[in-house]
Amino acid sequence: MAKKTDYFEHESLQDRDAVVDYLQALAKAIQKGEILLSDGDEKLLLQPNDLTLMSLKASTTKKSQSLRIKLTWNQKNDDEPDKEPLFIKAKKPKKSS
Amino acid sequence: MNKLFPEIYESLRFLLIDLQKQLLALIEGIRDADPDSFKKSLSRTAYIENAHLSLLNRAYRTIQNSSGDYRAEIQGYEHVSYSLISLSRQLETVSYQLQRNDPLKNLQKRRVLAALQDLYNGLELIEPAIESDDLTLSIDICQLQARIEKACSQQLKRYQQKLQEKYEDDLIQSSFVVKDIQYMAKTLLKVGEGVISGKLGQFIEIDSYQKLEATLSEMDFDLAEQQIHIHPMGETKSGCTISGVASASEAQDEVLAIFKEGQKKKLLEEKIGIETWHEKFPGIAPEVYSYQKQGDKAALLFEYLTGQTFDKLLLDNRKVLQDGLNCLFSTLTEIWQATEQEKRMPTSFMSQLQKRLSSIYAVHPEFNLKGLQIGDAKQPSLEKLIKQAAKLEEKLQPAKAVYIHGDFNVDNILFDVIKCEINFIDLHRSEYQDYSQDLSVLMVSFYRLKQYDPKIRQRIRLSMQAIYDFGADYAEQNNDNDYALRMALGLARSFISSTRFVLDKEHARSMLYKGRFLLEHLSQIDKQEYKNYQLPKELFRD
Repeated sequence: MAKKTDYFEHESLQDRDAVVDYLQALAKAIQKGEILLSDGDEKLLLQPNDLTLMSLKASTTKKSQSLRIKLTWNQKNDDEPDKEPLFIKAKKPKKSS
Repeated sequence: MNKLFPEIYESLRFLLIDLQKQLLALIEGIRDADPDSFKKSLSRTAYIENAHLSLLNRAYRTIQNSSGDYRAEIQGYEHVSYSLISLSRQLETVSYQLQRNDPLKNLQKRRVLAALQDLYNGLELIEPAIESDDLTLSIDICQLQARIEKACSQQLKRYQQKLQEKYEDDLIQSSFVVKDIQYMAKTLLKVGEGVISGKLGQFIEIDSYQKLEATLSEMDFDLAEQQIHIHPMGETKSGCTISGVASASEAQDEVLAIFKEGQKKKLLEEKIGIETWHEKFPGIAPEVYSYQKQGDKAALLFEYLTGQTFDKLLLDNRKVLQDGLNCLFSTLTEIWQATEQEKRMPTSFMSQLQKRLSSIYAVHPEFNLKGLQIGDAKQPSLEKLIKQAAKLEEKLQPAKAVYIHGDFNVDNILFDVIKCEINFIDLHRSEYQDYSQDLSVLMVSFYRLKQYDPKIRQRIRLSMQAIYDFGADYAEQNNDNDYALRMALGLARSFISSTRFVLDKEHARSMLYKGRFLLEHLSQIDKQEYKNYQLPKELFRD
């Protein structure tokens, strides 16, 4: 597969038990803060943040039903350009109480 | 209309000529009881409509082609033309009525003719008023309305008395005609306002004009002689209009004062707010030059403060923003120390939010959900979360009350870079309260700005963080233990309630989610965990 390392896609046919296994594996990985996705050639490591936007979409037609779960979070970025705090603590002695 | 636009003015003159003919024919019809005159009057309407359309076309072209900013002047012409066209339609109605009926014998011609003559005189004044260097004639046009109005009401009263004695069809018809003339006088008033607006460069109603005039004469300026130039500066959420008043003689358009006009209740609150600030912390609020009231409206003229609001500072360079914020922080510390009360004031963030829900749902109906269920997991409705959080709010230790701004938005705080000085404006809601009220409102007013450039968003995040940290520092020094929790509630309140001002769906949703997140988060903590509560700073990110 000639996929880029910042993109991963997978599709397969599974029975109910296998789906539950996958979802549990995913839940465990989210809990741990690291989701490893790999198809053998390429691998992608996601690091879920504490704050996550969770969106669910479900639909049902005569033929089929579907459920989509999308999780989005901000990247932990250590090299953002502008991160110096704007608040400069006043150099005053602490009030004694 | 300081600058005449010959093309537009020409159309207006054609319109006026035909309108005067229309009115004159009506007068003759009534005077001589001559049906042909009414027909003649009616025949003018097509010409008048044409002249109106030609004026609008020319105005449109002029706006497109003009390099200078003459929009207000040109709109003045349009306003006059629209008013004249509606005057023409009112004349048309009267002619129709009189043409097909015979109400003339009861019409008390003398008085009706006198009123119509006043109307005619008003029309005759329009050209000289436009060409004149001052506003006296335009004001005369407006004042004719009062005269006609008075004559008509007296006449209508007489008809009513007669009608009570005896019902007559003719009397009813005559009343209609007089009523129509009364309406026409109102239209004449609009014409006068249009001319004044064009000359002043801003739309202004005669009531406001008179208030402004009275106010300025206290400062030795004469509005009618156009020593003053006023320009619109915006509108507030409470429906007040704000204008800058500048001296026309100054080489540079230096603003002398701010003129704010609107509901008496709001402006009186503002005036009291400003005066109270002068007492509590002199120098932070603008000086009031004058206050005028009339009926349920009022006008306030106050000092124009130099400096930039924080929504502008955000776009300036980083250093200026940083200086502004830190100047604000030291000013706030001084204010809070100077005004601190022994009395502790509990917050009421959740009840404030509860009260806002209906207006939030009016803007975003999709926010009104009854609760969510996914399998065994349940999420309470917003109403329920608010109730739970209100219980927590009651248990928190309030801070000592300080005098707060009360509507602490980014655009209500001015920072003067040169003087390194902070000023407050829009002070109608100032009171003794918890300082977390002002800080949480300020943080969210940064967040909800319609600035989507990533660089600016990052500055917004840093500004919010800085405000929060400043407050935390103050709280620590003043042994205020529940600062983080009260701020979480205040922020949740502001994030959710401010969505009613945010029409961008994605932006509004992200604010709702943040607010809800805080409330859910708070509902899950125990009392033992209160003192270790940390606000998730990630929330300041988009």
